[in-house]
Amino acid sequence: METTSVDVLVVGGGATGAAAAYDLARRGVRVLLVDQNDLTTGTSGRYHGLLHSGGRYVITDFDTAVECITENMILRRIAPFAIEDTGGLFVATSQDPDDFPARWAAACARAGIAAEALTPEQARALEPALTRDITAVYRVPDASCDSFDLNHGFITAARTYGGDAWIYQRVTGFLTDGDAVVGAELEDTRTGERRRVHAACVLNATGPWAGVVAGLVGLDVKIRLDRGSMVAMNIRWVNTIVNRLRPPSDGDILVPVGTVCVLGTTSIRTEDPADTHVDVSEVSTLLREADVVVPGIRHGRALRAWAGVRPLYEPPAELAQLESGHNVSRRFAVIDHTERDGLRGLVTVVGGKLTTCRLMAEQAVDVVCRQLGVAARCTTADEPLPVPETSPRHYHQLTHRVHRLEHGEMPGALICECEVVTRPQLEARIAAYGDQPVALDDLRRDLRLGMGPCQAGFCGYRAAGILHAAKGLSPGEATRALSAFVGERFRGVRPLLYGHQLRQFYLDELIYRRTLGLDALLALDQPQPEGVSDAGSEA
Amino acid sequence: MPAAKPERHSAASHPATGTDIIVIGAGLAGLMAAVFAVEAGARVRLIAQGWGQQLVTPGWISVCDRAEDDVIAEVRGYAALHPEHPYGRAGDDAMVGGLERFRAATEAVGLSYELRRKDGHNMRLMTLLGGIQRVMLAPRGLAAGDLTDVRGPILLVGFAGWRDFFADLAAANLRRQGVDARALAIQLPDPDRYWDLWPGDLARQFDSALFRETVARQVAPHARDVERVGFPAVLGMDDHPRALDDLGGLIGRPVFEIPTLPESVPGVRLSNRLRRWLLRHGARVQIGHPVVRGVVEGRRCVGVEVQSLGHSTLFRADHVILATGGLYGGGIETDESGRVWEPLFGLPVMAPETESRAEWYYDDLLVERGHPIHRQAGLRVNTRLQPLDAAGEPVLDNVYAIGQMLAGFNPLTDGCAEGIALATAYKAVQTALELDE
Repeated sequence: METTSVDVLVVGGGATGAAAAYDLARRGVRVLLVDQNDLTTGTSGRYHGLLHSGGRYVITDFDTAVECITENMILRRIAPFAIEDTGGLFVATSQDPDDFPARWAAACARAGIAAEALTPEQARALEPALTRDITAVYRVPDASCDSFDLNHGFITAARTYGGDAWIYQRVTGFLTDGDAVVGAELEDTRTGERRRVHAACVLNATGPWAGVVAGLVGLDVKIRLDRGSMVAMNIRWVNTIVNRLRPPSDGDILVPVGTVCVLGTTSIRTEDPADTHVDVSEVSTLLREADVVVPGIRHGRALRAWAGVRPLYEPPAELAQLESGHNVSRRFAVIDHTERDGLRGLVTVVGGKLTTCRLMAEQAVDVVCRQLGVAARCTTADEPLPVPETSPRHYHQLTHRVHRLEHGEMPGALICECEVVTRPQLEARIAAYGDQPVALDDLRRDLRLGMGPCQAGFCGYRAAGILHAAKGLSPGEATRALSAFVGERFRGVRPLLYGHQLRQFYLDELIYRRTLGLDALLALDQPQPEGVSDAGSEA
Repeated sequence: MPAAKPERHSAASHPATGTDIIVIGAGLAGLMAAVFAVEAGARVRLIAQGWGQQLVTPGWISVCDRAEDDVIAEVRGYAALHPEHPYGRAGDDAMVGGLERFRAATEAVGLSYELRRKDGHNMRLMTLLGGIQRVMLAPRGLAAGDLTDVRGPILLVGFAGWRDFFADLAAANLRRQGVDARALAIQLPDPDRYWDLWPGDLARQFDSALFRETVARQVAPHARDVERVGFPAVLGMDDHPRALDDLGGLIGRPVFEIPTLPESVPGVRLSNRLRRWLLRHGARVQIGHPVVRGVVEGRRCVGVEVQSLGHSTLFRADHVILATGGLYGGGIETDESGRVWEPLFGLPVMAPETESRAEWYYDDLLVERGHPIHRQAGLRVNTRLQPLDAAGEPVLDNVYAIGQMLAGFNPLTDGCAEGIALATAYKAVQTALELDE
């Protein structure tokens, strides 16, 4: 079995893990990050895109609000490539409690969140789609953030300081020596290959899986799992983030991200860290609530729905009586298992928000460094991250990509027309994986392939053809790669299949079944049933 | 979508019945209903918001793709057992008559649709991905690819750098189904121009003899020991029959076409030619402005209101054939609340028998039985193709529903969408003009 040795193994390639890897690397610690999937595929990737000013928590969770505004300002400084300074509005309507805005504004002032009162007319001049029924409105320093870009930024930066990251590596168990964790066993989730990593300390930054991972050494880490759903509308209905100015509830935010507008979120308790399904009823709630502040939006075209599982830190006892996860603290905890469980070499970080990922990483790494005897202090807030060159992103600059395309600066066939992805871009990304397997979904995360209105109806076949040639796949592998990709795209659209999007997916299904015969080709891999079935049963 | 060009209407050269028929919808069902009605001597006005699904379907005519033996016998047997299925409603005569008249009509516009199999079985035609679909009838270029009687190797030709056909992958998938297929990539002149080249754009290139020669010169040396040569279905648009024969001659082997991703060039060819035929034979064809409402007096529809810039116009008719399509075409609409409705007449729609729209779809996209919404959302009709209410009574005396908007079949999985379009188009005209009584 292949064995690797590092100072610290970070488990979890979300925002906290990536920021921790960067932090450790800057402090001169040899760090390796692993994730059971690709980077940014857990809660960090299943995100609405709102870099909080803190305004949303200022009444229910004041400390988190203060952390948010502080970290908001730091991330703007160190990761400008991932952030669009949209600004944000908090809008109260006659449906909302009328004593709330004044209390809220006062709390913002205490928290250091610049909340500027606007007149309804000023707000509508800024965002003409807003309702006429505005009773109070404030402008705050919210922004929209691309968590994929941010994460790539942290990982790229970690690598420049000597760190590394491996994807598709699941921790199957910990290596222990007496009362200490001394590393972990990994399994490649694509090839089944097993590896062993020796580390003086392991940082468990696995978000909703933190309990599962800690359970591998028999520890009991309680987190409350809270599923939140989001819906992306096909255009930017607003260019400023719009928050409902009311106590936190379902359907409070509209976030312009890239070319779309994300409506969020719901809050439903779950027991499964992989529970990312979206109920049709949640879609209804999100559209109905968004329609209160942006009338008409519920009749717009919804592109895709997804859910993330918030890992809310559950300090013992006091939670049971709270009905909704919106009121549970977004604060995080760093658990040093030496103190709590008598087990050295393992630190768990749970809770928190994407906006506070750098701070969570800093505090977790402080504990790790104490165990290692490393005295270096955190410097991640001090200087900007290098712009990740491997990532041809800047999602909000789709128009820029169109311009380059139309002026011959992006040669080759246009494969994904919705998101402007060319054949040479795809081939370059595939080549970057070297000998590693590549799924079409990896290329989606790298390039936004298949993320536009048609959800891979056209580009799925094209990308499968390119992948087949570039990787020398068998026809069965290429066919299954296409099937896996379009199946995943379908899952994200299924709760939205009505009206326009139903029509779109009718076309997609027509292409897959009738034009390509994909279903029949997949059946080639199945054992053939004996005899002939009732051929005319569905005529 | 192309708007109808103003064209001079020649006087009808057929015996006028004095009956005015409005057909709403320019899919396969609507176009053919208009053709059948013109042939029967009616005054026909075809009104559509845009072209129908033939612009995105492969271009072949699926009658009963599942049939293992004689297709017509299979459908007859099925229809006898399932009188509520659109085939059962239209009846055997309409199914056979619709197919025959369709073949004659397409022959008349220079596009022959071939059965090819003498035993009445389905052909086996390949897809872009190298799958094999069973279909009864297809335009000549597609039908020439029937793999039933393939004897020797076939050569699949792709265009280097073109995004819509990967000949290597298609050939590899065919080989694992026992077909000796090989792939060839040829260069198109000036490939850098083609970053956004759609099938229709390429098809128009193939209308040029010079372009065809460039292609044939590269293919011929590789075609000497193959039985036939397959191309994506882009071999000519307006000049398609000549392009097909010409390429076959230059290469020295029979040439066939493989349906592409949308736009479907075979569908565009058919639409263009049927439209021209209708105009030549005195029909009015208005494509681009939607019908917004059927105007009803008592149990009769007296006409339809068409929205154009700034105003709407009422067109009167003795009969209205509704061919506005299903969930794709817009003949059946759905919304977030789970409502399913027919927008022009508010006709009663058979909606899915589910609590909420959560059950319209199964969890897996390519589930074999197909998703419930496709089979369930649509209009129920009687054997005159009149839409029915919940009690099973016709709602309007002179409105007939045809094609995709009918309930009871899944156009994506059942392999009979075009067969139903033709059978019901034929039946509706027969009923409206009382030709079957």
